[in-house]
Amino acid sequence: MRIFLLSVLLLSACSKGPNADLQYIKQARSIAAEWALVNEQAELGKLTPTYVESLHRWLRDDLQTAISSLSEPNSPYGDQMKALLAEPPDTAAFALRARAESLKQIEDGLESA
Amino acid sequence: MTPDGPIKLVSQLLDLPLLDSEGKYCGIVDDVELRGRPGQDVQLRALIVGPSAYKGRLPGWCMWLVKKVAGARETRVSMEDVRTISSVVHLKRPGPELGLNKSENAARRWLPNKGAL
Amino acid sequence: MNPLELTLGIMTAVGGFVDISELVFAAKAGSKFGYALIWVFALATLGIIIFSEMSGRVAAVAKQPVFNLMRHRLGLKLGLLTLAASIVSNLITCAAEIGGVSLILNYLTGAPYVLMAIGMTAVFVTSIWVLPFQWIERVYGLLGLFMIVFAAALVAIRPPWNQIGGGFVPQVPAGLTNKELLTFGYFTVAIISAVMFPYEVYFYSSGGIEEGWGPKDMLTNRLTSVLGMALGSLLAISILASSAQLFGPVNVDPEIPGSAALEAAIPFGKWGLILALLGMLFAVAGAAVETCMANAYSISQFFGWVWGRHKKPWEAPRFTITWIILFLLALAIVLTGVDVMMLVEFAVLFSILVLPLTYLPLLVLAGDKTYMREYANGPIAKVLGWLYFAIITGAAIAAVPLFVLTSGGNG
Repeated sequence: MRIFLLSVLLLSACSKGPNADLQYIKQARSIAAEWALVNEQAELGKLTPTYVESLHRWLRDDLQTAISSLSEPNSPYGDQMKALLAEPPDTAAFALRARAESLKQIEDGLESA
Repeated sequence: MTPDGPIKLVSQLLDLPLLDSEGKYCGIVDDVELRGRPGQDVQLRALIVGPSAYKGRLPGWCMWLVKKVAGARETRVSMEDVRTISSVVHLKRPGPELGLNKSENAARRWLPNKGAL
Repeated sequence: MNPLELTLGIMTAVGGFVDISELVFAAKAGSKFGYALIWVFALATLGIIIFSEMSGRVAAVAKQPVFNLMRHRLGLKLGLLTLAASIVSNLITCAAEIGGVSLILNYLTGAPYVLMAIGMTAVFVTSIWVLPFQWIERVYGLLGLFMIVFAAALVAIRPPWNQIGGGFVPQVPAGLTNKELLTFGYFTVAIISAVMFPYEVYFYSSGGIEEGWGPKDMLTNRLTSVLGMALGSLLAISILASSAQLFGPVNVDPEIPGSAALEAAIPFGKWGLILALLGMLFAVAGAAVETCMANAYSISQFFGWVWGRHKKPWEAPRFTITWIILFLLALAIVLTGVDVMMLVEFAVLFSILVLPLTYLPLLVLAGDKTYMREYANGPIAKVLGWLYFAIITGAAIAAVPLFVLTSGGNG
């Protein structure tokens, strides 16, 4: 049992490439979608400016962390994530959803492979 | 039960909390002291309270850690000072009179006596 | 039985049910798996009701809290191991709650996270020092009732009630890939852990002693456990269901705790947002206080120190110094900058590993007629108690492999 657990741990730690980065791609997709939802609701006047600013900061922090954790940061998905981070905080919701959608396509492609 | 009744040391006495005559907790039964010889009646003489009593109940490396953190003190509570034994051991006298709760009194000096409703 | 006291007790339990872990996992569970994990919340809530009721009954009849009796039943070695494990588990959980409170204050006011962590720790220490036990429990628990806005928000978005009802039936969604199945398994284990956190039982049983419960309080204990936890659980299920309705369809898998407040903002606007954040603030703050005090209770009871907030702080000095040090240690963990979501994951993981050791002595004691007399576990409590012990032991065994294989539920 101990050997099994150790092997699983080692395997998880050593894996590289798109499959290892899948969790960060998912995270980035979700961040893009969350960001879009926040901006959409802010546009409708349903959120306080303080809340919006705070969520922007924390979401972008998490996105930065996800990018830093990529084993292949110069991959196509890495470039997409960096482009997402480069977007200004008040980017239109539809633009952010488009980025979320393209990350979702990469995610689905990797999961079905 | 009272101290002169039959008692099972491990399941009914060891590791029970002690309550003094003022209803204050004053330690745990960490070990017991027996008197007697093989082939003769054995008598329960005292309860031992304190981290030093963990010796023999914990591995050696653990005892080193216990000594560093809690010290090596030990207090002996004679069975004559025990009133009853149930889910706790009820004592006949206040804990400080029996040499218990010394650390409690030492810790009290670190706290202000005000501000609480 | 005083009806006002009983009502306050139940409402305190409702407001105090949700903590940062339940908030995070309810929102994520809804967005990932729709309504399919509602039954796990219901299952775990029944478990915590059973064990809370048992621990309250043991406190009222044997006049002893869980940890006193745990050492006596498990012995010194296994008892010390349980104590060490539960200290680590509760400390990480307390750090997650302090981090959570600081985040929520940042969402509300924009004040710096680190400053809020230090400030709120000072508020917690001061409130426990100044207020008597009942006030501590009630202030945080009753203010946590702002969380009711989540239930109102769910009604306002007109969800598919038949599907929500269907979520109460035990199920595994069809068509999941192997990885998704493992993630579903991880969420099942995590929700059981988050709902049945050991600190809840330690705090509840010690609280019974603090309030001087006796055999006359059996009905109070039963009603508080059943109604308080069941209604509180409905708040957590509301968060899950709203997440399924609002986040799942737009591919949002909530990455930060603050996103949950959107569930109230979407139907109710700014006021919904503010009420949701206030509810989250007080619920999580209450949990921070409970986890720290539960740890202090455990340590004091294990070593036979004077304990309890029914005494003035200087009358139980080692207990007082312990909870102050524990708050400072939890704050230190937060100040290392570790992500709150990561603290939540580890809190949930450590807690499920400790759960079997926590509940076994309680189960044995509550069934022991020597201590419990005519109040010992009846046949229903025995069967359900042992069934749940088997469930949490299975969950504890599966927890670490599932955590590793699913990267903490992130697939």
